[in-house]
Amino acid sequence: MSQDVVVYALSTCPWCKRAREWFTAQQVACEFINIDELPDQEGDAAADKAHELSGSHAFPVVVIDGSVVVGFRPERYADLLGIK
Amino acid sequence: MDTAARKEVFRYLFGKVVDPLGYKFTPDEELVDMLLEAEVKTELDTGAPYCPCQRRTKVRAEDMKIVCPCIPFHRRHFDAMRRCWCGLFVHKDVTDPSVLPQIPEDEI
Repeated sequence: MSQDVVVYALSTCPWCKRAREWFTAQQVACEFINIDELPDQEGDAAADKAHELSGSHAFPVVVIDGSVVVGFRPERYADLLGIK
Repeated sequence: MDTAARKEVFRYLFGKVVDPLGYKFTPDEELVDMLLEAEVKTELDTGAPYCPCQRRTKVRAEDMKIVCPCIPFHRRHFDAMRRCWCGLFVHKDVTDPSVLPQIPEDEI
């Protein structure tokens, strides 16, 4: 069963890149949103959404089937995805 | 000033600030290089070297708390992680930064 994975990221953040690489290595499809590369209003809306989800301004913000993980935390991602 | 020269200025200045706080640059030189490069770019774009891994709020008083090195504003959080959020700095006793995960403040 495929999971719904969204990664809110900043283009300047190496941990965001590592999160993307981790999902790619696990062959898990994810929507990757570099909010600072979006047009102003769209970027602000995505940043507001990430803040609403995480309660924080820290990135990456990873959402796996509705569960929010702040930071590069592969063990948490694996748990939520049921990867051993 | 070119990027390489500005990175060296940051190395010097930031080192002076974080040393008395009990921190040092991470031994991961590749990460240091990437983060300093990002901060030079951010400074050019915005006027200040904000943390590459935290989003500005557009509220100046809040945004000042994420200008690098932002350790004094997040002391309890970073001391618990033994690193800053982006990982540019680690506690002086850290030899292997790869074992220090990012932990959100509300989980500390």
